[in-house]
Amino acid sequence: MNSKRARDMRWAPVRRPVARTPVWVGPAAVAALLAVVVAAFLVYRWYTTPLPVKTPPGDETQQVIAQITSLPASEFESIGQGTANNLLKPVTGTPLTGATGKPEVFYLGGEFCPFCGAQRWALIIALSRFGTFSGLTSSASAADIEFPNTPTFTFHGATYTSQYIDFRGLETSDRERNPLDTPTPAEDQLFTKYNPQSSIPFVDIGNRYAFTGAMYSPEVLAGQSWQAVADELKDPNSVHAKAIIGSANLLTAAICKITIDQPAAVCSSPTIQGLEQKLG
Amino acid sequence: MPRLQLAAVAASVVGVGVSIYLTMVHYAGITPACPVSGTINCEAVLSSSYAVIAGTSVPTSVAGIVWFGVSALLWGWRFGPVHLAWSAVGLLTVLYLVFIEIVRVGAICLWCTAAHVLVVAIVMIAAVMTVSPSGRGLGRGA
Repeated sequence: MNSKRARDMRWAPVRRPVARTPVWVGPAAVAALLAVVVAAFLVYRWYTTPLPVKTPPGDETQQVIAQITSLPASEFESIGQGTANNLLKPVTGTPLTGATGKPEVFYLGGEFCPFCGAQRWALIIALSRFGTFSGLTSSASAADIEFPNTPTFTFHGATYTSQYIDFRGLETSDRERNPLDTPTPAEDQLFTKYNPQSSIPFVDIGNRYAFTGAMYSPEVLAGQSWQAVADELKDPNSVHAKAIIGSANLLTAAICKITIDQPAAVCSSPTIQGLEQKLG
Repeated sequence: MPRLQLAAVAASVVGVGVSIYLTMVHYAGITPACPVSGTINCEAVLSSSYAVIAGTSVPTSVAGIVWFGVSALLWGWRFGPVHLAWSAVGLLTVLYLVFIEIVRVGAICLWCTAAHVLVVAIVMIAAVMTVSPSGRGLGRGA
């Protein structure tokens, strides 16, 4: 018995102690991964955040507006829809008319909102083909929002005259989200009727077409000065022109629908006619 | 059931609650109960274009309800690789959403962060149970 035990002990495999992985290793690895990734995000944010914008003075703004509203017809023709997303949705309702009884284009947005900022460039260009703005001033989207400091203009305090259409542009809040323009109850009703999510910007073109959002990404304008964007628009092959003028062409086609193709100089162009057919 | 598994179930249930609250806030169009101080700004995050699942009008928080709901069910079962895989899906989603908050929006939503912390807690539990399936050392076995 004793000799058997001695033999078993002699031949028994020696089990070497295996070090167990401590339980804290898993959570510590997850925490370390999170810390590294979040730190990388913070560095990336710091590196890519554009410097605070300084809105240009009035005369510079007027120069930029004059530049973007006097683009040659050939440029509109060559760009067509460009890279713009057609957000226009046909709607049914009593035709919307403005203060002077003409078909109305209604815009509701906010100065803080980068998508409103992007859409305003296209709206100003499109509407300027039917009439004239005065009192437009430069503005930028909020600094604490996605696409911060998007260079743009504001419709607050601006007036528009046209022999074809009326335009009403409301900015409900300023860049710091303080209240600004107040819509009438009828405009409020319009806003919620065609826009149950209450998104901005909201644009209604004579109750014939309506849409919310921007037809191109505000990223196109990131870190740019007003003058730089205006200069880019002169080149029909630029990213800016394809996005902004493409959007303006879509808006122009929708407006031509409510003016019954007036003025002919704008609405009878092959590009606008083609887009009108596309809109249905 | 080990205590750690119970904790994961509890975290999942709380996560479902947080996600339901954020979904209700979205559809009711109201401002969530959340302080606004510089970087902390729930409204900036929840009103951004990333607050809905891309190409839809479905709020991202609905995905949270689904993830936490499935998580609650999974953790009621014996721990296995599927728990780790589901946790990894949650962790990757959290990393993406934190990227959106920090880089794209530049603001942090506290309610979203609460949900992210719950996901990370569940991931950590999965990590512990992978190393020590009985949860020995941190929790009592069943």
